[in-house]
Amino acid sequence: MFPRPIEKSSPAVRTLYKVALPVALLLWLFPLLGVALTSLRPASDLAMGNYFGIPSSIAFSNYADVFNNSPIGQYILNSFKVTIPTVIGTLVLSCMTGFALGIYRFRGNIIVFFLFVAGNFVPFQILMVPVRDLTYNLGLYNTTGGLALFHIAFQTGFCTLFMRNFIAALPRELIEAARVEGVAEWRIFWYIVLPLMRPAIAALSVLVFTFIWNDFFWATVLTTSASTQPVTAGLSSLNGQWIAAWHLVSAGSIVAALPPVLMFFLMQKHFIAGLTLGAVK
Amino acid sequence: MLHLNKGASAALIVGLLSSTAAFADQRVLNYYADYDAIPLAAMEALIADFEAANPDIDVVLQNFDHEGYKTAIRNFLTTDAPDLANWYAGNRMAPFVESGQFMDVSDVWADNGLNESLGSALASMTIDGKQWGIPYTYYQWGIYYNKDAYAAVGAEVPTTWDEFVANCEKFAAAGIDCLTTGTSALWPGAGIFDYLDLRTNGYEYHMDLTSGKIAWTDEGVRNTFAEWAKVQPYITANHAAIDWQDAAALLVQGKAANYVMGNFAVGVFKQGGMTNDNLGFMPFPTINPDVARAEEAPTDTIHIPSGATNVEDAKTFLAFIASADAQTKLNAAIGQLPINSGSTVAADDPFISAGFELLSTTPGGIAQFFDRDAPAEMAKIGMEGFQEFMVLPENLDAILERLEAARQRIYN
Repeated sequence: MFPRPIEKSSPAVRTLYKVALPVALLLWLFPLLGVALTSLRPASDLAMGNYFGIPSSIAFSNYADVFNNSPIGQYILNSFKVTIPTVIGTLVLSCMTGFALGIYRFRGNIIVFFLFVAGNFVPFQILMVPVRDLTYNLGLYNTTGGLALFHIAFQTGFCTLFMRNFIAALPRELIEAARVEGVAEWRIFWYIVLPLMRPAIAALSVLVFTFIWNDFFWATVLTTSASTQPVTAGLSSLNGQWIAAWHLVSAGSIVAALPPVLMFFLMQKHFIAGLTLGAVK
Repeated sequence: MLHLNKGASAALIVGLLSSTAAFADQRVLNYYADYDAIPLAAMEALIADFEAANPDIDVVLQNFDHEGYKTAIRNFLTTDAPDLANWYAGNRMAPFVESGQFMDVSDVWADNGLNESLGSALASMTIDGKQWGIPYTYYQWGIYYNKDAYAAVGAEVPTTWDEFVANCEKFAAAGIDCLTTGTSALWPGAGIFDYLDLRTNGYEYHMDLTSGKIAWTDEGVRNTFAEWAKVQPYITANHAAIDWQDAAALLVQGKAANYVMGNFAVGVFKQGGMTNDNLGFMPFPTINPDVARAEEAPTDTIHIPSGATNVEDAKTFLAFIASADAQTKLNAAIGQLPINSGSTVAADDPFISAGFELLSTTPGGIAQFFDRDAPAEMAKIGMEGFQEFMVLPENLDAILERLEAARQRIYN
């Protein structure tokens, strides 16, 4: 079995493990700790150049200022308005495409599947100008709906790959047995395949939620006003013309990071399952 | 609106129906800007005054960060244009004027007598004989210095460039950066270049250079860089890696003595604990005594995009912002200088009084700033060159040839 439990290795390896783990953890978390510390610093510390030292005082007021100085509540609401429809939309679509590509053997099946996969290899930055023009011509520019639609379109490719492989790994006998019984195809999907896909759906919803919540690029390209911008794009408005208020941006980032972190802790089991689901095949 | 889909128009109608109950017939004026915290509060106070005087207008101000705004404006002017947008005077607004994205507001100038009261900024707001926006503030540039650092090494505040360079040796011996800057966002380096060029070659030459009439390989430009080379070893070594605010912290800590900056930096110095007792301001020292003293004072402006939906109220707002009282109030709050000649400045702020004195007595002329006087593309390439020169001065020839090649390409 891999990985081998650490208790079974030699004492030297175990000691090394115990020393290396906290070091790696600290190194890994250092930027995050910096952000957390900065979010509690008064502005004067930053102006004095005290970036990593002990804060001269603990300024919880930064968090209050974020809510007073920027419409962060609106930004977070916008993030939900983009993220939740995207999660639902991609899952609905990719469950169906995954079922079609995983169960039916038709001519061009592989080609259609490859098209979905190939879409994942397009660096999405090159789509910036055409997507902006398209959204504008559709009258969806600067709307949360337009942003969500784009995310659904783009995430469906990855989710289809994931779902198709998951469904293809299901025992075909289950479906054939149902067909022998004369069960309609859509009932096979609904009553047999969908319940078996629950772990994949849970894992994907967590993944897609965090992807979309953390998206900055498309948020800045497709939305411009406070009434539509998600929190990732909106936070930078805490900075001004010349003066960057890093203490406020840090506090805002921590607030903005709470929903995905919360989501992760609630669904931790599925998240890890999701990351390894396709990998063992 | 051309591109509203059905869902959006339904939402709009519902929105209008529900909002009429609360605000009877209020017209919305959308205003996009990129204010720092203090100017933002000051502008919001001013907007409150405006709304009190015009209860049927609701000004909705949306704030951006500066770097994001520079990119966003290209986007929103052509798509979802607001009714008012902040920008800058001089060449910096030319691309938007020439592509027809800013509205001609000459009538606001004519109807309110602004050609006289805002006369000092008239030239920088005029393209093709028309005015394209309203200036509301400007501020001086110069050298901010740490008085404690001067006292520690026993240096005198210089009036000539030779004295300044001589002081640098004293600061270097004490381990203090003589001149600090943070060029990770490029523009702070242009402030140094502008002043060196204004002091070496004068206002006319500098303006000809930024408008593409003089070659970058010209003898005058080389003279400017020769002066720059004298202080290059004394500039904060890692300036290209730090932001201007990080360099401001060096001045606060006394690790640096001088900083070529705009007056908006005073707020940061004071936030870091400096006071009028240890923060000093001096005009940039004289290099060539035969050249008339010219200064740098960027003007910030408000414009009406061509795609604005509420032009009538936007013009009312511009006329209000142009008035002497509004400019007095706004600039007193943000610590900058009003454009309107009928406005007054706070006499108890030594930096504001110094700036007012400096600019009102300038014999040579007032430049905007390198990235406002030169076209955007030239400005970017130029500022990258300045940054490179401050790191690798031996590359001067290659840098100047690159700028010259850019000049021939961009201005033709």
